[in-house]
Amino acid sequence: MNRLEGKTALVTGGRQGIGRGIVDRFVAEGARVMTCGRGERPADLAADILWETVDVARREEVDALTDRVVAAFGELDVLVNNAGVQIEKTIVDTTDADWDLLMGVNARGVFLLCRALIPIMYDGGSIINIGSISASNADPGLALYNASKAFVQGLTRSIAVDHGPAIRCNAIAPGWIMTDMADAAFAVASNPAAAQQDALQRHPAGRFGQPADIAALATWLASDEAAFASGQVYTLDGGMTAASPLNPGLF
Amino acid sequence: MANQLSGKSAFVTGGTGGIGRAICARFAAEGARVVAADLQPADDLPEGVDFVRYDVTDETGVKQVFDDLAERWDRLDILVNAAGIEIEKTIEETSLEEWNRIFAINVTGTFLTSKFALPLLRRGDGASIINFGSYDGYIADPGLAAYCATKGAVHALTRAMACDHGPEGIRVNAICPGYVNTPMLQSFFGDSGDIESLRQAVRDVHPMRTYGEPEDIANLVNWLASDEARYASGQLWIIDGGLSAQVQQMRL
Repeated sequence: MNRLEGKTALVTGGRQGIGRGIVDRFVAEGARVMTCGRGERPADLAADILWETVDVARREEVDALTDRVVAAFGELDVLVNNAGVQIEKTIVDTTDADWDLLMGVNARGVFLLCRALIPIMYDGGSIINIGSISASNADPGLALYNASKAFVQGLTRSIAVDHGPAIRCNAIAPGWIMTDMADAAFAVASNPAAAQQDALQRHPAGRFGQPADIAALATWLASDEAAFASGQVYTLDGGMTAASPLNPGLF
Repeated sequence: MANQLSGKSAFVTGGTGGIGRAICARFAAEGARVVAADLQPADDLPEGVDFVRYDVTDETGVKQVFDDLAERWDRLDILVNAAGIEIEKTIEETSLEEWNRIFAINVTGTFLTSKFALPLLRRGDGASIINFGSYDGYIADPGLAAYCATKGAVHALTRAMACDHGPEGIRVNAICPGYVNTPMLQSFFGDSGDIESLRQAVRDVHPMRTYGEPEDIANLVNWLASDEARYASGQLWIIDGGLSAQVQQMRL
């Protein structure tokens, strides 16, 4: 498959989970891909994928990353703002340090990446931000995370309006995708196994999502097939949020 | 790109219309066997697309078509409810007969076709229904009252069908196009004097500086129909060149 043949892409947060799923799929579709994370290069990352150790919350590190993108690719076709942090707390329990960490990555990081990279994307670029269903419907005990994703989805529209038609910008709002982040969210339940079973029954698709599901939509949005799609938040959740949270069948 | 729908079978209502025809052409190019269902045959249907005369408002006829299809096809993988009309009137100008007609086609037609397609859709190992909502189901265009109401109804029906039939392996989504270059859009432009100036003004209000072509919509229909979208269900997919991401554009 070669839907992204000849394209260059930067995917933040490619160490694991959804980010890695997108990186692997983009490569399989023929794109040249750079990804990044706060730690060292993952040992299992394929050799032809570029890795940069970057904290997206720090401007000087994002500026250095931008220089690396220019050096490697010249121009950039696709930017995926995937790096994200989740903290399982209500706001009463949230510390200033929690705010700095979470909003630094989830909000400031997306801002910094877009500000730095939009100027080298003005040739039909596609920006894909990873939001969340919890931007619109709150998950309990994830206060700042929920709010940070609402920021991401709001910024998505502004970028589409301000930087179209040269740049398209859309967000993907994943539901429950089986990653370490989902495990951490289930872990706060009194009975995580029962919570998982209950959540599963609320999915018309009959299963949780996989990183590959999100990567499939990211691939479409990155491709020229999506030339008329911009300014939207596309939810991919196995049908969960189409149904009311009050589900009499589970009483 | 081809063969994304290889081995799949598809039924498209409104299959000879502006968007429906582009969907049929794309499905055929991707390797699906396709039936274009519509009131009148078109003499230039894309190669590989079969035509069936079809009135989405006629329960007896709809049932007969799917009974016949069940004799020939072992299953149906993709159903696209693209048949639809537009009435360019306020509610005060709309007669009850017109109101009932647009609901019969846009809403009841989606209901009837889906209802009688379900047995065939269940036979495969995962099916995709794609309804046609509209960005007008979210935000009103002036003088399209009944049309806006029908599209809101399709949006709610889409979520309900996704909820009910997801456990049977059937995904249900709606596509909500903005302005797309079809006979319906040209009719909406009507006889507004300098049509080219109007067209340019409409293009300019889009962040993408253009309205869509039927192929842009078919691109998304194709994705939702394919196994790539296997986790997508119950959603309303606006595709409008960024139009509804912005507020009203004031002339300052």
